Amino acid sequence: MLFNSLQFLIFLPIVVGLYYLLPHKFRWVLIFVASCYFYMAFVPKYILILFLIILIDYFSALAIERSQSKAKLAYLVGSLTANVLLLCFFKYFNFLNENLLGVFSLFGKEFHPINLDIILPIGLSFHTFQSMSYTIEVYRGKQKAEKHIGYFANYVLFFPQMVAGPIERYETLGNALKVEQKPLYQNLSDGFKLILYGLFIKMTIADNIAPFVNQIYSDPLKYSSSEVLAAVFLFSFQIYADFFGYSTIALGCAKLFGINIMDNFKTPYLAKSVSEFWTRWHISLSTWFRDYLYIPLGGNRVKLSRWAFNILVVFTVSGLWHGANWTFVVWGALHGVMLLLEKYFSLIFKFKIKEKWSVLNAALTLKTFVITSFIWIFFRAENFEKAKNVIKAIVKNHSIQPSDLTLTLPLIFAGLLILFDFFLYNSRIDKQLNSLKMTYRWAIYTVLIFCLFALSGTQKFTFIYFQF
Amino acid sequence: MFKKIAIKIVFLLLILTGLNYIYDATLFKTDLEEKCEQVVEIRNSQNKTDIFYFAESSNFNSRETDSIKNSISEITNLFFPNLKITAINKPASHAGIFKQWLTQINLGVEKPKAIVVTLNLRSFDAAWIHSRLETPLQESMVLTKPFPNIVNRFLLSLQAFDNKTEKQRDMDMLLDWETKQLKFPFDFKYKTVRQWDNAMSQGSYLKPDGSWDDAKITLACHYVKGYAFNINDDNPRVKDFDEIASWCNKNKINLYLNLLAENVEYADSLVGKELVFLMRENRDYLVKRYSKNNCVVVDNLEKVPGIEFTDQNWTTEHYGYRGRMIVAKNLANALKKQFENKYKKAY
Repeated sequence: MLFNSLQFLIFLPIVVGLYYLLPHKFRWVLIFVASCYFYMAFVPKYILILFLIILIDYFSALAIERSQSKAKLAYLVGSLTANVLLLCFFKYFNFLNENLLGVFSLFGKEFHPINLDIILPIGLSFHTFQSMSYTIEVYRGKQKAEKHIGYFANYVLFFPQMVAGPIERYETLGNALKVEQKPLYQNLSDGFKLILYGLFIKMTIADNIAPFVNQIYSDPLKYSSSEVLAAVFLFSFQIYADFFGYSTIALGCAKLFGINIMDNFKTPYLAKSVSEFWTRWHISLSTWFRDYLYIPLGGNRVKLSRWAFNILVVFTVSGLWHGANWTFVVWGALHGVMLLLEKYFSLIFKFKIKEKWSVLNAALTLKTFVITSFIWIFFRAENFEKAKNVIKAIVKNHSIQPSDLTLTLPLIFAGLLILFDFFLYNSRIDKQLNSLKMTYRWAIYTVLIFCLFALSGTQKFTFIYFQF
Repeated sequence: MFKKIAIKIVFLLLILTGLNYIYDATLFKTDLEEKCEQVVEIRNSQNKTDIFYFAESSNFNSRETDSIKNSISEITNLFFPNLKITAINKPASHAGIFKQWLTQINLGVEKPKAIVVTLNLRSFDAAWIHSRLETPLQESMVLTKPFPNIVNRFLLSLQAFDNKTEKQRDMDMLLDWETKQLKFPFDFKYKTVRQWDNAMSQGSYLKPDGSWDDAKITLACHYVKGYAFNINDDNPRVKDFDEIASWCNKNKINLYLNLLAENVEYADSLVGKELVFLMRENRDYLVKRYSKNNCVVVDNLEKVPGIEFTDQNWTTEHYGYRGRMIVAKNLANALKKQFENKYKKAY
């Protein structure tokens, strides 16, 4: 069930209403049933994979808590291996086969890959990472193992964030699901604001930009340099609006249940460097990699060369996490390389910017946006050939006349997104709206509602991050 | 808290009402033109129309070699030069779409004197009911739903219509072919479309050199899939046409069900008399069911010779000029009773 569907807009108020009507002791059952129903609306049988993850990590955590040293580690390794294997089987099996085939043929050897007709279960990368963080925390002694399997299941399954995050820690989401929440006006009001804004971002902005970008990316060589360049920049806005929209709706839905989940975005395109970008983009994934990969590798408390290695490993793995394709790996690795280059230049040119807004800041922000936009080419293109064609078209297609594709509407919506980002700088829509006078607040509601109802895209585009 | 929420909801509804006026005045017409130009045509032409002619692709296809390209509705209009017949066409349309077009006629302005609804037998079969074209057809009708226009626009963005995937539709179609039992008053070895289709595909036709005539086999199979079914009261298209008939009856507008000609000759020669039997049975069902009140069924089923069909290697209701003239003349004869003094012999 998609957030931007009528089913969901009917489903959500029913579940929220029932949640507050039910006595606390039964609420976990409602969340569990609702989450299963929500997930099964995609591909019903894949719920079994989630149940398997829940069972593995629930019992592993209990075993880890009861055990000592080596056995404890063995249970953790067992649990992590099971999770990673599940992920690999569904996400990377065919990818691995394709690559083995390539390697074998390179050496003139025969290889007969088994190609499985597998559809990647929606959000599998998110569930496994969320569940893995729990067992790791239990192993580290920072989290007590959950005795109630229902509560643990809800931590993995909680429908507002189950398919595309934010990747929550048990400490916040798991524990919040256990607390008896009261129906507070402020929570409901904030939840509504977040959902409204999230839907606006996704349906009005992302879905109006998507047709233009898809058209250009389908055959970039046919279009003029300026059009392809526009598509490259517009994709930056599309993916941001798409994923930020989803995350904001997720935040709003959780808020309706009185639960605060983490902000996944903080105006990332206003970042002045690539490293800052990663503190503002997909924050829950960045912090996951920081806590469970970067720091265990030694983080920055190592020699410079080792630190550079750590950075490259983290970003490459992060790329691979997104999809079973070398383009994603390159996308991740390029971010790592850019981060290292930034570090290198910052060591050479030492300067500090004090003012919040200045020409230099604006230039740095623009530079970061241009860099990330170009790196997105590898994320968006289905393969290297396509990515190459995009770059080739930008460089060589100056003589081609622009096609009849209309750029105006996508550009207006991208501009609107930038405006809202300035408005939300280091804050969030519900907080910003609450700080305004009532008249301004309702004026913004009116604009959002009109854009959402009358100007949203009319083609079906699922959330981009659902594929991961 | 509840009072506060109620006040906010009322406020939001007021805003939405205001925004609906703005949307109506600004963007609605463009959206409607983009998504469903037929509805705009109905609205724009209502004042100057005597007869609405609702049709699918049969009304805008002609043979390449035709020197006269006039559509069936245009030819019909030649018999009634003083009447204005307005054709509203959309490919793959069926009774389910036409019934929604009807609701766009503003009865408060001026009622049309008659409505002609063109249907073909195949539009009642599983392949058409579960056609992949159904999704865009349904999408095109969202803006005409009986809600405020801005709400309809939002429903369009939410894709809140019969929006099954192509795969789902194919599965539904295959299921119907596999499970729906064919009824004959005599013994017939094939009980379902699938069985019949399988049998046809097992090489009923051979070329003179002894090899399989694949083109002929494909066409025969296609005829089986297109016409092997029994129309009954549960057929969704029957239910849709029931609504059309009842709407016309309620609003005292004469209705003409223009049942199109099918290539019965080829059905007979390619598949056999059993298929022709089903085609005639289905025609008889429709004639019997709808020849009452103010509805007239114009039966063209066997009127057009096989050679007059423009697609000789497929099942369509696209005719060459002579075929279109036959259907138009038959329809004009039916309309003559209502518009006797307007009739003029054109051919």
